[in-house]
Amino acid sequence: MKFLKKYKKPIIVIAVIVAVIIVLGALLPTKQELLSCASPEMQKMIEEDATRSRKRVTETYESLIVINYLSLSTSGAQEVSEHYVGFVRNVYPADEGPMKVVGQMVNYTYRMLGCGENWMHGAKLTVLLTTLTVLFGLLLGTVLALGKISKNKVLSKISSGYIFFFRGTPLLIQLFVVYFTVPGIFGFAWRDIFPASDAEAVYKGAFTAALIAFALNSGAYCAEIVRSAIQSIDKGQFEAAKALGMTYGQTMGRIVIPQSIRRMIPNVSNEFIMILKDASLVFAISLMDITTISKNIMTSEGSYLVFIPALVIYLVITAFFGFIFNKLEKRFSIYE
Amino acid sequence: MSENYEYILKTEHVSKRFGTLEVLKDINLSVKKGEVICIIGPSGAGKSTFLRSLNQLEKITSGKIFIRDELFLHREHDHTVDKLPHEKQQELLLEMGMVFQRFNLFPHMTVLQNVCEAPVVVKKQKKSEAEAQARELLEKVGLSDKADEYPSRLSGGQQQRVAIARALAMNPEIMLFDEPTSALDPELVGDVLNVMKELAESGMTMLVVTHEMGFAKEVADRVLFMADGIIAEEGTPDQIFTNPQVDRTKSFLNAILET
Repeated sequence: MKFLKKYKKPIIVIAVIVAVIIVLGALLPTKQELLSCASPEMQKMIEEDATRSRKRVTETYESLIVINYLSLSTSGAQEVSEHYVGFVRNVYPADEGPMKVVGQMVNYTYRMLGCGENWMHGAKLTVLLTTLTVLFGLLLGTVLALGKISKNKVLSKISSGYIFFFRGTPLLIQLFVVYFTVPGIFGFAWRDIFPASDAEAVYKGAFTAALIAFALNSGAYCAEIVRSAIQSIDKGQFEAAKALGMTYGQTMGRIVIPQSIRRMIPNVSNEFIMILKDASLVFAISLMDITTISKNIMTSEGSYLVFIPALVIYLVITAFFGFIFNKLEKRFSIYE
Repeated sequence: MSENYEYILKTEHVSKRFGTLEVLKDINLSVKKGEVICIIGPSGAGKSTFLRSLNQLEKITSGKIFIRDELFLHREHDHTVDKLPHEKQQELLLEMGMVFQRFNLFPHMTVLQNVCEAPVVVKKQKKSEAEAQARELLEKVGLSDKADEYPSRLSGGQQQRVAIARALAMNPEIMLFDEPTSALDPELVGDVLNVMKELAESGMTMLVVTHEMGFAKEVADRVLFMADGIIAEEGTPDQIFTNPQVDRTKSFLNAILET
Protein backbone atom coordinates (compact mmCIF):
# COMPACT_ATOMS: atom_id res chain seq x y z
CA MET A 1 0.00 0.00 0.00
CA LYS A 2 2.82 2.34 0.93
CA PHE A 3 4.43 1.60 -2.39
CA LEU A 4 1.21 2.41 -4.26
CA LYS A 5 0.87 5.70 -2.45
CA LYS A 6 4.45 6.76 -3.09
CA TYR A 7 4.35 6.09 -6.82
CA LYS A 8 0.70 6.97 -7.41
CA LYS A 9 1.29 9.29 -10.34
CA PRO A 10 3.74 7.22 -12.41
CA ILE A 11 1.67 4.08 -11.79
CA ILE A 12 -1.44 5.75 -13.15
CA VAL A 13 0.44 7.08 -16.17
CA ILE A 14 1.97 3.67 -16.94
CA ALA A 15 -1.35 1.90 -16.39
CA VAL A 16 -3.13 4.28 -18.77
CA ILE A 17 -0.43 3.84 -21.43
CA VAL A 18 -0.54 0.05 -21.11
CA ALA A 19 -4.34 0.05 -21.25
CA VAL A 20 -4.35 2.22 -24.38
CA ILE A 21 -1.80 -0.09 -26.02
CA ILE A 22 -3.83 -3.18 -25.14
CA VAL A 23 -7.05 -1.66 -26.49
CA LEU A 24 -5.40 -0.39 -29.68
CA GLY A 25 -3.69 -3.74 -30.13
CA ALA A 26 -6.98 -5.60 -29.77
CA LEU A 27 -8.57 -3.32 -32.36
CA LEU A 28 -5.77 -3.85 -34.85
CA PRO A 29 -6.96 -5.32 -38.18
CA THR A 30 -5.42 -8.71 -38.92
CA LYS A 31 -3.17 -9.42 -41.87
CA GLN A 32 -6.12 -11.17 -43.59
CA GLU A 33 -8.20 -8.05 -43.26
CA LEU A 34 -5.45 -5.98 -44.83
CA LEU A 35 -5.09 -8.50 -47.64
CA SER A 36 -8.80 -8.47 -48.35
CA CYS A 37 -8.58 -4.77 -49.16
CA ALA A 38 -6.11 -5.33 -51.99
CA SER A 39 -7.27 -4.70 -55.56
CA PRO A 40 -8.93 -7.65 -57.42
CA GLU A 41 -5.97 -7.95 -59.81
CA MET A 42 -3.51 -8.15 -56.95
CA GLN A 43 -5.68 -10.70 -55.13
CA LYS A 44 -5.86 -12.79 -58.29
CA MET A 45 -2.09 -12.75 -58.67
CA ILE A 46 -1.62 -13.78 -55.03
CA GLU A 47 -4.05 -16.64 -55.55
CA GLU A 48 -2.15 -17.77 -58.63
CA ASP A 49 1.13 -17.45 -56.75
CA ALA A 50 -0.04 -20.07 -54.29
CA THR A 51 0.43 -22.76 -56.93
CA ARG A 52 3.50 -21.29 -58.68
CA SER A 53 7.05 -22.00 -57.74
CA ARG A 54 8.23 -18.56 -58.78
CA LYS A 55 6.20 -15.89 -57.03
CA ARG A 56 5.28 -12.67 -58.77
CA VAL A 57 4.10 -10.75 -55.73
CA THR A 58 6.49 -9.65 -52.99
CA GLU A 59 4.63 -9.43 -49.74
CA THR A 60 5.85 -7.46 -46.73
CA TYR A 61 3.83 -7.50 -43.55
CA GLU A 62 4.98 -5.59 -40.48
CA SER A 63 3.15 -5.11 -37.21
CA LEU A 64 4.11 -2.67 -34.43
CA ILE A 65 1.53 -3.82 -31.85
CA VAL A 66 -0.86 -0.90 -32.39
CA ILE A 67 -0.35 -0.28 -36.09
CA ASN A 68 0.51 -2.53 -39.01
CA TYR A 69 1.60 -2.25 -42.59
CA LEU A 70 1.23 -4.41 -45.67
CA SER A 71 3.13 -3.85 -48.87
CA LEU A 72 2.41 -5.82 -52.04
CA SER A 73 4.50 -5.29 -55.12
CA THR A 74 5.30 -7.06 -58.36
CA SER A 75 8.37 -6.69 -60.44
CA GLY A 76 8.90 -7.28 -64.11
CA ALA A 77 7.04 -5.91 -67.14
CA GLN A 78 3.99 -4.50 -65.41
CA GLU A 79 5.24 -3.13 -62.13
CA VAL A 80 2.47 -2.54 -59.60
CA SER A 81 2.57 -1.90 -55.93
CA GLU A 82 -0.04 -1.41 -53.25
CA HIS A 83 0.38 -0.41 -49.62
CA TYR A 84 -2.02 -0.59 -46.71
CA VAL A 85 -1.92 0.62 -43.14
CA GLY A 86 -4.14 -0.89 -40.48
CA PHE A 87 -5.09 1.07 -37.37
CA VAL A 88 -8.07 0.79 -34.98
CA ARG A 89 -10.34 -1.51 -37.01
CA ASN A 90 -9.63 0.43 -40.19
CA VAL A 91 -7.53 -0.29 -43.22
CA TYR A 92 -6.18 2.73 -45.06
CA PRO A 93 -4.67 2.65 -48.53
CA ALA A 94 -1.15 4.09 -48.21
CA ASP A 95 -0.06 4.68 -51.78
CA GLU A 96 -0.10 8.45 -51.61
CA GLY A 97 -0.64 11.46 -49.39
CA PRO A 98 -0.19 11.46 -45.61
CA MET A 99 -1.02 7.75 -45.25
CA LYS A 100 1.92 6.95 -47.51
CA VAL A 101 4.21 8.71 -45.04
CA VAL A 102 2.59 6.88 -42.12
CA GLY A 103 3.10 3.58 -43.91
CA GLN A 104 6.73 4.38 -44.59
CA MET A 105 7.31 5.36 -40.97
CA VAL A 106 5.88 2.06 -39.75
CA ASN A 107 8.02 0.21 -42.26
CA TYR A 108 11.23 2.08 -41.35
CA THR A 109 10.64 1.86 -37.62
CA TYR A 110 9.99 -1.85 -37.89
CA ARG A 111 13.23 -2.37 -39.76
CA MET A 112 15.34 -0.09 -37.57
CA LEU A 113 14.09 -1.76 -34.41
CA GLY A 114 15.22 -5.06 -35.85
CA CYS A 115 11.79 -6.62 -35.39
CA GLY A 116 11.54 -10.15 -36.74
CA GLU A 117 15.34 -10.41 -36.87
CA ASN A 118 17.93 -11.74 -34.44
CA TRP A 119 20.06 -9.63 -32.10
CA MET A 120 22.46 -8.68 -34.89
CA HIS A 121 19.98 -6.12 -36.22
CA GLY A 122 18.83 -2.59 -35.52
CA ALA A 123 18.04 -1.33 -32.05
CA LYS A 124 18.72 -4.78 -30.59
CA LEU A 125 22.30 -4.62 -31.81
CA THR A 126 22.73 -1.05 -30.58
CA VAL A 127 21.41 -1.81 -27.09
CA LEU A 128 23.32 -5.07 -26.78
CA LEU A 129 26.59 -3.53 -27.91
CA THR A 130 26.16 -0.53 -25.61
CA THR A 131 25.27 -2.60 -22.55
CA LEU A 132 28.13 -5.04 -22.99
CA THR A 133 30.53 -2.17 -23.67
CA VAL A 134 29.60 -0.40 -20.44
CA LEU A 135 29.86 -3.61 -18.40
CA PHE A 136 33.30 -4.50 -19.72
CA GLY A 137 34.33 -0.84 -19.69
CA LEU A 138 33.48 -0.57 -16.00
CA LEU A 139 35.44 -3.71 -15.13
CA LEU A 140 38.45 -2.52 -17.08
CA GLY A 141 37.97 1.02 -15.75
CA THR A 142 38.02 -0.20 -12.14
CA VAL A 143 41.29 -2.04 -12.74
CA LEU A 144 42.79 1.01 -14.45
CA ALA A 145 41.58 3.36 -11.72
CA LEU A 146 43.08 1.22 -8.98
CA GLY A 147 46.27 1.12 -11.03
CA LYS A 148 46.32 4.85 -11.49
CA ILE A 149 45.91 5.64 -7.78
CA SER A 150 48.23 2.87 -6.62
CA LYS A 151 51.53 3.75 -5.04
CA ASN A 152 53.32 1.50 -7.49
CA LYS A 153 54.88 3.95 -9.96
CA VAL A 154 55.00 1.49 -12.87
CA LEU A 155 51.33 0.50 -12.53
CA SER A 156 50.32 4.10 -12.19
CA LYS A 157 52.25 5.15 -15.30
CA ILE A 158 50.86 2.28 -17.36
CA SER A 159 47.31 3.19 -16.39
CA SER A 160 47.85 6.87 -17.07
CA GLY A 161 49.40 6.08 -20.44
CA TYR A 162 46.51 3.82 -21.39
CA ILE A 163 43.94 6.46 -20.44
CA PHE A 164 45.90 9.16 -22.29
CA PHE A 165 46.06 7.06 -25.44
CA PHE A 166 42.41 5.98 -25.60
CA ARG A 167 41.04 9.40 -24.72
CA GLY A 168 43.41 11.12 -27.11
CA THR A 169 42.57 9.21 -30.29
CA PRO A 170 39.29 8.99 -32.23
CA LEU A 171 37.07 6.04 -31.45
CA LEU A 172 36.47 5.45 -35.17
CA ILE A 173 40.18 4.93 -35.79
CA GLN A 174 40.43 2.68 -32.75
CA LEU A 175 37.60 0.66 -34.26
CA PHE A 176 39.43 0.47 -37.59
CA VAL A 177 42.62 -0.61 -35.87
CA VAL A 178 40.88 -3.43 -34.03
CA TYR A 179 38.86 -4.47 -37.07
CA PHE A 180 41.47 -4.13 -39.84
CA THR A 181 44.97 -3.54 -38.46
CA VAL A 182 45.11 -6.15 -35.71
CA PRO A 183 43.93 -9.07 -37.89
CA GLY A 184 46.19 -7.75 -40.66
CA ILE A 185 49.27 -7.88 -38.49
CA PHE A 186 48.52 -11.18 -36.82
CA GLY A 187 47.13 -12.83 -39.92
CA PHE A 188 43.62 -13.82 -38.93
CA ALA A 189 40.10 -12.71 -39.76
CA TRP A 190 37.43 -11.82 -37.25
CA ARG A 191 34.89 -14.06 -38.94
CA ASP A 192 37.16 -17.08 -38.41
CA ILE A 193 36.51 -17.10 -34.69
CA PHE A 194 33.03 -18.39 -35.52
CA PRO A 195 32.38 -21.68 -37.33
CA ALA A 196 32.37 -21.38 -41.11
CA SER A 197 28.93 -22.97 -41.22
CA ASP A 198 27.52 -19.96 -39.39
CA ALA A 199 25.86 -17.77 -42.01
CA GLU A 200 26.33 -14.69 -39.87
CA ALA A 201 29.97 -15.33 -38.99
CA VAL A 202 31.04 -12.12 -40.74
CA TYR A 203 28.63 -10.02 -38.71
CA LYS A 204 29.43 -11.80 -35.47
CA GLY A 205 33.13 -11.28 -36.10
CA ALA A 206 32.56 -7.59 -36.74
CA PHE A 207 30.44 -7.39 -33.60
CA THR A 208 33.24 -8.96 -31.55
CA ALA A 209 35.76 -6.50 -32.97
CA ALA A 210 33.43 -3.57 -32.27
CA LEU A 211 32.81 -4.75 -28.71
CA ILE A 212 36.55 -5.04 -28.07
CA ALA A 213 37.30 -1.61 -29.50
CA PHE A 214 34.44 0.05 -27.65
CA ALA A 215 35.22 -1.67 -24.34
CA LEU A 216 38.89 -0.69 -24.56
CA ASN A 217 37.86 2.89 -25.24
CA SER A 218 35.15 3.00 -22.61
CA GLY A 219 37.58 1.53 -20.07
CA ALA A 220 39.64 4.72 -20.29
CA TYR A 221 36.63 6.95 -19.64
CA CYS A 222 35.25 4.66 -16.92
CA ALA A 223 38.67 4.68 -15.25
CA GLU A 224 38.35 8.42 -14.70
CA ILE A 225 34.78 7.98 -13.44
CA VAL A 226 35.83 5.27 -10.97
CA ARG A 227 38.95 7.16 -9.90
CA SER A 228 37.13 10.38 -9.13
CA ALA A 229 34.44 8.46 -7.24
CA ILE A 230 37.02 6.61 -5.15
CA GLN A 231 38.91 9.79 -4.42
CA SER A 232 35.72 11.54 -3.35
CA ILE A 233 35.37 9.08 -0.47
CA ASP A 234 36.32 10.63 2.85
CA LYS A 235 39.87 9.85 3.98
CA GLY A 236 38.41 8.91 7.35
CA GLN A 237 36.93 5.78 5.79
CA PHE A 238 40.39 4.52 4.83
CA GLU A 239 41.69 5.39 8.29
CA ALA A 240 38.83 3.68 10.10
CA ALA A 241 39.30 0.55 8.01
CA LYS A 242 43.04 0.58 8.60
CA ALA A 243 42.60 1.10 12.33
CA LEU A 244 40.36 -1.98 12.34
CA GLY A 245 43.16 -3.98 10.73
CA MET A 246 41.67 -4.31 7.25
CA THR A 247 44.07 -4.78 4.34
CA TYR A 248 44.14 -2.46 1.33
CA GLY A 249 42.16 -4.99 -0.71
CA GLN A 250 39.53 -5.43 1.97
CA THR A 251 39.26 -1.68 2.44
CA MET A 252 38.74 -1.13 -1.27
CA GLY A 253 36.46 -4.08 -1.88
CA ARG A 254 34.23 -3.77 1.16
CA ILE A 255 34.33 -0.13 2.20
CA VAL A 256 35.43 2.23 -0.55
CA ILE A 257 34.15 0.76 -3.81
CA PRO A 258 30.64 -0.02 -2.51
CA GLN A 259 30.36 3.61 -1.44
CA SER A 260 31.79 4.88 -4.71
CA ILE A 261 29.20 3.02 -6.78
CA ARG A 262 26.41 5.42 -5.93
CA ARG A 263 28.60 8.38 -6.80
CA MET A 264 29.53 6.77 -10.10
CA ILE A 265 25.98 6.19 -11.30
CA PRO A 266 25.25 9.65 -12.76
CA ASN A 267 28.55 9.58 -14.65
CA VAL A 268 28.07 5.99 -15.79
CA SER A 269 24.63 6.96 -17.02
CA ASN A 270 26.27 9.72 -19.01
CA GLU A 271 28.90 7.36 -20.38
CA PHE A 272 26.16 4.88 -21.34
CA ILE A 273 24.35 7.50 -23.37
CA MET A 274 27.60 8.59 -25.04
CA ILE A 275 28.34 5.00 -26.06
CA LEU A 276 24.78 4.47 -27.24
CA LYS A 277 25.36 7.26 -29.73
CA ASP A 278 28.95 6.32 -30.49
CA ALA A 279 27.71 2.83 -31.31
CA SER A 280 26.45 4.31 -34.57
CA LEU A 281 30.09 4.25 -35.73
CA VAL A 282 29.71 0.54 -36.43
CA PHE A 283 28.18 1.53 -39.75
CA ALA A 284 31.82 1.83 -40.83
CA ILE A 285 32.33 -1.91 -40.42
CA SER A 286 28.96 -2.75 -41.95
CA LEU A 287 27.15 -3.89 -38.86
CA MET A 288 23.39 -3.41 -39.21
CA ASP A 289 22.64 -1.04 -36.36
CA ILE A 290 19.96 1.68 -36.36
CA THR A 291 22.22 4.14 -38.16
CA THR A 292 23.35 1.71 -40.86
CA ILE A 293 19.78 0.63 -41.58
CA SER A 294 18.57 4.22 -41.83
CA LYS A 295 21.45 5.08 -44.16
CA ASN A 296 20.66 2.02 -46.30
CA ILE A 297 16.99 2.97 -46.54
CA MET A 298 18.01 6.49 -47.52
CA THR A 299 20.29 5.19 -50.26
CA SER A 300 18.04 2.50 -51.67
CA GLU A 301 14.68 4.24 -51.43
CA GLY A 302 15.73 7.86 -51.49
CA SER A 303 13.63 8.57 -48.44
CA TYR A 304 14.88 11.61 -46.60
CA LEU A 305 12.28 11.13 -43.86
CA VAL A 306 13.86 7.96 -42.52
CA PHE A 307 16.17 9.82 -40.13
CA ILE A 308 13.27 11.20 -38.12
CA PRO A 309 12.10 7.83 -36.75
CA ALA A 310 15.80 7.01 -36.27
CA LEU A 311 16.15 10.00 -33.95
CA VAL A 312 12.98 9.06 -32.09
CA ILE A 313 14.22 5.50 -31.55
CA TYR A 314 17.52 6.77 -30.09
CA LEU A 315 15.62 9.19 -27.86
CA VAL A 316 13.30 6.50 -26.53
CA ILE A 317 16.23 4.19 -25.74
CA THR A 318 18.06 7.05 -23.98
CA ALA A 319 14.96 7.93 -21.96
CA PHE A 320 14.45 4.32 -20.94
CA PHE A 321 18.01 3.81 -19.72
CA GLY A 322 18.06 7.25 -18.10
CA PHE A 323 15.04 6.12 -16.08
CA ILE A 324 16.75 2.86 -15.09
CA PHE A 325 19.93 4.62 -13.94
CA ASN A 326 17.84 7.11 -11.99
CA LYS A 327 16.10 4.28 -10.15
CA LEU A 328 19.46 2.60 -9.50
CA GLU A 329 20.82 5.78 -7.98
CA LYS A 330 17.82 6.07 -5.66
CA ARG A 331 18.20 2.46 -4.69
CA PHE A 332 21.85 2.88 -3.76
CA SER A 333 21.04 6.04 -1.79
CA ILE A 334 19.01 4.37 0.93
CA TYR A 335 21.71 4.95 3.50
CA GLU A 336 22.08 8.66 2.87
CA MET B 1 50.85 -14.07 24.22
CA SER B 2 53.06 -13.30 27.17
CA GLU B 3 51.54 -11.26 29.94
CA ASN B 4 54.89 -10.51 31.49
CA TYR B 5 55.54 -7.04 30.31
CA GLU B 6 56.11 -3.84 32.18
CA TYR B 7 54.59 -1.34 29.78
CA ILE B 8 51.80 -2.12 27.39
CA LEU B 9 52.84 0.87 25.31
CA LYS B 10 55.97 2.96 25.37
CA THR B 11 57.46 5.62 23.14
CA GLU B 12 61.01 6.93 23.18
CA HIS B 13 62.10 10.15 21.51
CA VAL B 14 59.21 10.13 19.07
CA SER B 15 59.37 13.03 16.59
CA LYS B 16 57.25 13.86 13.63
CA ARG B 17 57.64 16.58 11.09
CA PHE B 18 55.50 17.60 8.14
CA GLY B 19 57.96 19.24 5.78
CA THR B 20 59.69 21.82 7.94
CA LEU B 21 56.97 21.89 10.57
CA GLU B 22 57.93 19.95 13.68
CA VAL B 23 54.69 18.61 15.09
CA LEU B 24 56.11 16.24 17.68
CA LYS B 25 59.43 16.75 19.42
CA ASP B 26 60.98 13.98 21.40
CA ILE B 27 57.91 12.50 23.05
CA ASN B 28 58.52 9.92 25.78
CA LEU B 29 55.58 8.13 27.28
CA SER B 30 55.08 4.88 29.11
CA VAL B 31 51.67 3.39 29.63
CA LYS B 32 50.90 0.57 32.04
CA LYS B 33 48.04 -1.82 31.54
CA GLY B 34 44.79 -0.42 32.89
CA GLU B 35 45.96 3.17 32.97
CA VAL B 36 43.67 5.93 31.74
CA ILE B 37 45.64 8.83 30.34
CA CYS B 38 44.09 12.06 29.16
CA ILE B 39 46.02 14.30 26.84
CA ILE B 40 44.99 17.93 26.93
CA GLY B 41 46.39 21.04 25.32
CA PRO B 42 45.74 23.77 22.78
CA SER B 43 44.94 22.83 19.21
CA GLY B 44 47.98 22.39 17.04
CA ALA B 45 49.93 20.97 19.94
CA GLY B 46 50.34 17.60 18.23
CA LYS B 47 47.96 15.62 20.44
CA SER B 48 46.08 13.99 17.60
CA THR B 49 49.22 13.42 15.57
CA PHE B 50 50.77 11.64 18.52
CA LEU B 51 47.77 9.37 18.91
CA ARG B 52 47.64 8.68 15.18
CA SER B 53 51.31 7.82 15.00
CA LEU B 54 50.83 5.22 17.72
CA ASN B 55 48.60 3.09 15.49
CA GLN B 56 50.52 3.92 12.33
CA LEU B 57 48.02 6.24 10.68
CA GLU B 58 50.99 8.63 10.59
CA LYS B 59 54.58 7.54 10.07
CA ILE B 60 56.86 8.98 12.71
CA THR B 61 60.01 10.74 11.54
CA SER B 62 62.19 9.26 14.25
CA GLY B 63 61.91 7.51 17.57
CA LYS B 64 60.96 4.14 18.96
CA ILE B 65 57.58 2.64 19.71
CA PHE B 66 57.33 -0.39 21.98
CA ILE B 67 54.25 -2.51 22.41
CA ARG B 68 54.32 -4.93 25.35
CA ASP B 69 58.02 -4.14 25.74
CA GLU B 70 58.74 -5.38 22.23
CA LEU B 71 60.33 -2.93 19.82
CA PHE B 72 57.50 -2.37 17.41
CA LEU B 73 59.08 0.29 15.23
CA HIS B 74 62.29 2.24 15.23
CA ARG B 75 62.81 5.05 12.75
CA GLU B 76 65.51 7.65 12.29
CA HIS B 77 65.40 10.55 9.81
CA ASP B 78 62.35 9.13 8.04
CA HIS B 79 63.92 5.70 7.54
CA THR B 80 62.88 2.54 9.28
CA VAL B 81 65.83 1.22 11.24
CA ASP B 82 64.15 -1.72 12.86
CA LYS B 83 60.68 -3.16 13.15
CA LEU B 84 58.74 -6.28 13.86
CA PRO B 85 57.83 -8.41 10.85
CA HIS B 86 54.73 -7.16 9.09
CA GLU B 87 52.39 -9.91 10.30
CA LYS B 88 53.43 -9.47 13.88
CA GLN B 89 52.92 -5.73 13.52
CA GLN B 90 49.42 -6.23 12.15
CA GLU B 91 48.65 -8.57 15.02
CA LEU B 92 49.80 -6.05 17.63
CA LEU B 93 47.99 -3.20 15.92
CA LEU B 94 44.74 -5.09 16.39
CA GLU B 95 45.28 -4.63 20.11
CA MET B 96 44.75 -0.90 19.60
CA GLY B 97 41.21 0.31 18.99
CA MET B 98 40.73 3.82 17.68
CA VAL B 99 37.82 6.21 17.96
CA PHE B 100 37.88 9.24 15.69
CA GLN B 101 36.65 12.76 16.13
CA ARG B 102 34.39 12.44 13.10
CA PHE B 103 33.25 8.87 13.94
CA ASN B 104 34.11 7.52 10.46
CA LEU B 105 31.38 4.92 10.54
CA PHE B 106 30.81 3.06 7.28
CA PRO B 107 27.72 4.82 5.93
CA HIS B 108 26.66 2.03 3.57
CA MET B 109 26.35 -0.51 6.37
CA THR B 110 23.84 -0.76 9.17
CA VAL B 111 24.98 -0.26 12.73
CA LEU B 112 25.17 -4.01 13.28
CA GLN B 113 27.16 -4.53 10.08
CA ASN B 114 29.54 -1.74 11.09
CA VAL B 115 30.31 -3.53 14.35
CA CYS B 116 30.55 -7.02 12.78
CA GLU B 117 32.61 -6.05 9.75
CA ALA B 118 36.13 -6.20 11.15
CA PRO B 119 35.67 -9.29 13.36
CA VAL B 120 34.29 -11.21 10.38
CA VAL B 121 36.64 -9.89 7.71
CA VAL B 122 39.85 -9.44 9.67
CA LYS B 123 39.56 -11.94 12.49
CA LYS B 124 37.57 -14.46 10.41
CA GLN B 125 35.03 -14.91 13.17
CA LYS B 126 31.82 -16.74 12.36
CA LYS B 127 29.10 -14.33 11.34
CA SER B 128 26.66 -15.56 13.96
CA GLU B 129 29.24 -15.23 16.74
CA ALA B 130 30.26 -11.76 15.58
CA GLU B 131 26.62 -10.72 15.51
CA ALA B 132 25.93 -11.98 18.99
CA GLN B 133 28.98 -10.14 20.26
CA ALA B 134 27.98 -7.00 18.36
CA ARG B 135 24.52 -7.02 19.92
CA GLU B 136 26.10 -7.35 23.35
CA LEU B 137 28.36 -4.38 22.68
CA LEU B 138 25.50 -2.29 21.34
CA GLU B 139 23.58 -3.11 24.49
CA LYS B 140 26.56 -1.92 26.49
CA VAL B 141 26.65 1.45 24.70
CA GLY B 142 22.88 1.74 25.01
CA LEU B 143 21.97 1.35 21.34
CA SER B 144 20.57 -2.16 21.04
CA ASP B 145 17.41 -0.75 19.45
CA LYS B 146 19.38 0.89 16.63
CA ALA B 147 21.12 -2.23 15.33
CA ASP B 148 19.42 -2.17 11.94
CA GLU B 149 19.54 1.57 11.29
CA TYR B 150 21.98 3.23 8.94
CA PRO B 151 24.44 5.62 10.62
CA SER B 152 22.96 8.64 8.86
CA ARG B 153 19.77 8.10 10.86
CA LEU B 154 21.60 8.46 14.18
CA SER B 155 22.60 11.54 16.13
CA GLY B 156 26.29 12.37 16.45
CA GLY B 157 26.40 11.02 19.98
CA GLN B 158 24.80 7.76 18.93
CA GLN B 159 27.18 7.45 15.99
CA GLN B 160 30.15 7.94 18.26
CA ARG B 161 28.89 5.24 20.62
CA VAL B 162 28.54 2.89 17.66
CA ALA B 163 32.12 3.77 16.72
CA ILE B 164 33.22 2.82 20.23
CA ALA B 165 31.35 -0.48 19.97
CA ARG B 166 32.95 -1.09 16.59
CA ALA B 167 36.43 -0.59 18.03
CA LEU B 168 35.62 -2.78 21.05
CA ALA B 169 34.44 -5.59 18.79
CA MET B 170 38.07 -6.36 17.99
CA ASN B 171 38.76 -6.92 21.71
CA PRO B 172 41.60 -4.42 21.87
CA GLU B 173 43.78 -3.99 24.93
CA ILE B 174 44.20 -0.28 24.43
CA MET B 175 41.64 2.23 23.24
CA LEU B 176 42.77 5.45 21.61
CA PHE B 177 40.24 8.28 21.60
CA ASP B 178 40.96 11.21 19.29
CA GLU B 179 38.79 14.06 20.57
CA PRO B 180 35.73 11.82 20.63
CA THR B 181 33.31 14.54 21.73
CA SER B 182 34.63 17.56 19.83
CA ALA B 183 32.27 17.17 16.87
CA LEU B 184 29.18 16.69 19.02
CA ASP B 185 26.42 19.01 20.11
CA PRO B 186 26.93 19.84 23.79
CA GLU B 187 23.84 17.97 24.96
CA LEU B 188 25.04 14.75 23.31
CA VAL B 189 28.48 14.76 24.91
CA GLY B 190 27.31 13.26 28.20
CA ASP B 191 26.17 9.92 26.75
CA VAL B 192 29.49 9.34 25.05
CA LEU B 193 31.48 10.31 28.15
CA ASN B 194 29.38 7.94 30.26
CA VAL B 195 30.22 5.06 27.95
CA MET B 196 33.89 5.97 28.19
CA LYS B 197 33.70 6.18 31.97
CA GLU B 198 32.20 2.71 32.17
CA LEU B 199 34.92 1.48 29.90
CA ALA B 200 37.58 3.03 32.13
CA GLU B 201 36.01 1.46 35.20
CA SER B 202 36.08 -1.94 33.55
CA GLY B 203 39.87 -1.69 33.49
CA MET B 204 40.48 -0.79 29.83
CA THR B 205 43.76 0.94 29.05
CA MET B 206 42.82 4.24 27.46
CA LEU B 207 44.57 7.18 25.82
CA VAL B 208 42.15 10.04 25.43
CA VAL B 209 42.80 13.30 23.63
CA THR B 210 40.10 15.57 24.95
CA HIS B 211 38.92 19.05 25.76
CA GLU B 212 36.54 17.74 28.41
CA MET B 213 38.35 18.82 31.58
CA GLY B 214 35.60 17.42 33.81
CA PHE B 215 36.08 14.00 32.30
CA ALA B 216 39.85 14.23 32.64
CA LYS B 217 39.60 15.24 36.30
CA GLU B 218 37.20 12.46 37.15
CA VAL B 219 38.48 9.51 35.16
CA ALA B 220 42.15 9.99 34.34
CA ASP B 221 44.95 8.35 36.27
CA ARG B 222 47.36 10.72 34.62
CA VAL B 223 47.00 13.91 32.63
CA LEU B 224 49.48 15.03 30.00
CA PHE B 225 49.54 18.63 28.95
CA MET B 226 50.92 18.97 25.44
CA ALA B 227 51.92 22.21 23.78
CA ASP B 228 54.06 22.94 20.72
CA GLY B 229 54.90 19.31 20.13
CA ILE B 230 56.20 18.47 23.57
CA ILE B 231 54.71 17.11 26.78
CA ALA B 232 54.97 20.33 28.76
CA GLU B 233 53.64 18.92 31.97
CA GLU B 234 52.51 15.60 33.32
CA GLY B 235 50.87 14.53 36.55
CA THR B 236 47.78 13.34 38.34
CA PRO B 237 44.62 15.30 37.59
CA ASP B 238 44.93 16.96 40.97
CA GLN B 239 48.43 18.19 40.30
CA ILE B 240 47.63 19.48 36.85
CA PHE B 241 44.29 21.11 37.51
CA THR B 242 44.80 22.55 40.97
CA ASN B 243 48.50 23.15 41.06
CA PRO B 244 50.05 23.44 37.62
CA GLN B 245 53.78 24.17 37.63
CA VAL B 246 54.41 25.38 34.09
CA ASP B 247 53.26 28.80 32.88
CA ARG B 248 51.98 27.38 29.61
CA THR B 249 49.69 25.00 31.50
CA LYS B 250 48.44 27.76 33.77
CA SER B 251 47.51 30.07 30.94
CA PHE B 252 45.82 27.24 29.01
CA LEU B 253 43.76 26.16 32.01
CA ASN B 254 42.83 29.75 32.78
CA ALA B 255 41.62 30.27 29.24
CA ILE B 256 39.64 27.03 29.27
CA LEU B 257 38.06 27.53 32.68
CA GLU B 258 37.03 31.08 31.93
CA THR B 259 34.74 30.07 29.09
